Amino acid sequence: MSQKKVIEEFEVKEMLKKYGIKVPNGMLISNLPETINLDYPLVLKVSDPNILHKSDVGGVALNIKNYDELKIKFNEMKNKFSNSKFLVESMEKSGVEIIIGLIKDKTFGLSIMFGMGGIFTELYKDVSFRLVPIEEFDAREMVEEIKAKKIFEGFRGIRASKDAVISMLLKVSSFGNDHYDEIDQLDLNPVIVRENDAVVVDAKLISIIP
Amino acid sequence: MYEHLLYPKSIAVIGASKDEKKIGNVILKNLLYYGYNGRIYPVNPKNEDIFNIKTYPSIKDINDEIDLAVITLPSQFVPDSITECVEKGVRYVIVIAGGFSETGKKGAELERKILELIKGSRTRVIGPNTVGVYLPKSKVSTALTLPDRTALPGEGCLAFISQSGALGLLTMDTISEYGIGVSAFINLGNRIDLSETELLDFFKEDENTKSILLYLETFKNGREFFNKAKDIVKSKPIVVLKSGRTEAGAKAASLHTGALATDDSIVEGALKQAGIVRAYSETEMIDYGRALGYQKPLTGDSIAIVTTAGGLGVITADYVASETNGVGLKVATLDDKTKEDLREVIVPFGSVENPVDLTAEGSTEQYDKVIEILNRDKNVDGLIVYALFQTAKVDESLIDVLEKHMSEKPMIVGILGSKFGKKMLLEAERRKIPAYPSMERSVKAMKVLYIRGKYLKGRNVE
Repeated sequence: MSQKKVIEEFEVKEMLKKYGIKVPNGMLISNLPETINLDYPLVLKVSDPNILHKSDVGGVALNIKNYDELKIKFNEMKNKFSNSKFLVESMEKSGVEIIIGLIKDKTFGLSIMFGMGGIFTELYKDVSFRLVPIEEFDAREMVEEIKAKKIFEGFRGIRASKDAVISMLLKVSSFGNDHYDEIDQLDLNPVIVRENDAVVVDAKLISIIP
Repeated sequence: MYEHLLYPKSIAVIGASKDEKKIGNVILKNLLYYGYNGRIYPVNPKNEDIFNIKTYPSIKDINDEIDLAVITLPSQFVPDSITECVEKGVRYVIVIAGGFSETGKKGAELERKILELIKGSRTRVIGPNTVGVYLPKSKVSTALTLPDRTALPGEGCLAFISQSGALGLLTMDTISEYGIGVSAFINLGNRIDLSETELLDFFKEDENTKSILLYLETFKNGREFFNKAKDIVKSKPIVVLKSGRTEAGAKAASLHTGALATDDSIVEGALKQAGIVRAYSETEMIDYGRALGYQKPLTGDSIAIVTTAGGLGVITADYVASETNGVGLKVATLDDKTKEDLREVIVPFGSVENPVDLTAEGSTEQYDKVIEILNRDKNVDGLIVYALFQTAKVDESLIDVLEKHMSEKPMIVGILGSKFGKKMLLEAERRKIPAYPSMERSVKAMKVLYIRGKYLKGRNVE
């Protein structure tokens, strides 16, 4: 049996960046530096391979407006997670939330998933799958076969770029294909889709150690 | 290579017997009953002639190449028999008996032994625990069916691979009633050696096969099957009926993706990606296989409907267009010129709008002209034509008219009715016109032509 290991979010995002996948500007810190060279508002998250679901344990602080606020939040969290590192990032402007995932299937191998983000993901199970690697035709079909597809076609004036989703699906597929044997599961959830772009806000990767 | 299995020139029946209760007797009798057109070699150590055919004590005593051997012996005797087949250089061996991995450890051990024995040889095994094959062109059936209870279909262009023997035989029995034929039927059984993936290759090469149908409960090797199918669908359509859809088999759900990844959701995606059409019942599987095998794919989504009964026209239009209770295609908006031309043909109270209604006054000649006019309209991608024989001016030659138009835009035919309708369905089937006895089935058949067309276009296949 191969071992599984959680890869820290910062590291995952650094890997994704190499594939042209947009992630928030951010830095990994152990202590709070004198100055933070990031645009406010900020997000502060605990970064620890032993903590997979950060928000469940109070490991995420959103919408931090200035350095003083950051200092308070950081000290609070440092108190709680004394041995952990922390990821501080610029907070992304809102948009339509989607999920993109990778999973190793015992029959078909590495597969890629697309669906709407948020609580409706699991409620409606409105998701589509394909096998890695995918082509543009497949990515387009993945978006067009979910029930909520109209969100990406201007429904009620919502501006969320279908092309940005397709482009990200292709990039995640390339990432998956290059690390085919090392990936057990990857969650990019949420990915925020806006009028002209899509950005990965949270990333979780469970890798396989051969 | 595949010819030895699909068109065997010689068959050995190992365990052939005079005892009417033995499988070896029934299989030999069935080869004679169906009129197998190759050379038959019964094998039995007692060496008495059976049904007046010379019998051999061992397969190795036969002075001929053996394409196919059918082992009719109980499981414990199979390994020794396989050893002889390997030494003889038999190409394909069907192991009928059960009592293998489906029964437990001891049976699984026998399977491993068989695989060990054939390793590195040219001998390939079908089964065990299989009804074997039905090859209408060679007139071979290894199934233990009673001819007066179960009919087998005639020659056709649908290849049928089934993991279940009984489902396969029942489906074939049913379709034989509608004159639908198969190019070959192969029951995988426990599938220890020959799998659905390799059979795809066989049927890709087989000229008599126009579409490949599979009933599967599991995939032997999903990724290999996917890769192979993705390549083969470019030249031949594949339809899969896959069971086990509701199994809640979500993955170890530490992440959201895992929680959402049920086995079937990935199967669904993989089939679509490979360009395989999925069926959800045996009826759909055959319906789709015929549509795709007999007809070309649709290049667009606008459908013209032709009928002599107004009700059929509107119900079909609903079914064509509805996303929720239909197939989500478009009811074509006819060109003005088309409507003018139709007006010349149809009675004044008929409809020249789509659905085109010839009314009960409609005649065979009108059908001919209407189909011709609709084929000229660039707004029409495909036609659903109801060939209804209930009115006086429509006669049997309508089937000739439909056949004539088969070379034009994709056309699906609906023939509703009872005795006479069925007679016409059989006639349409004889000429490989995809005809269906209901509106729903006609529309769904059209939809799969669309799915295939869209897929081939998306993959840039000419």
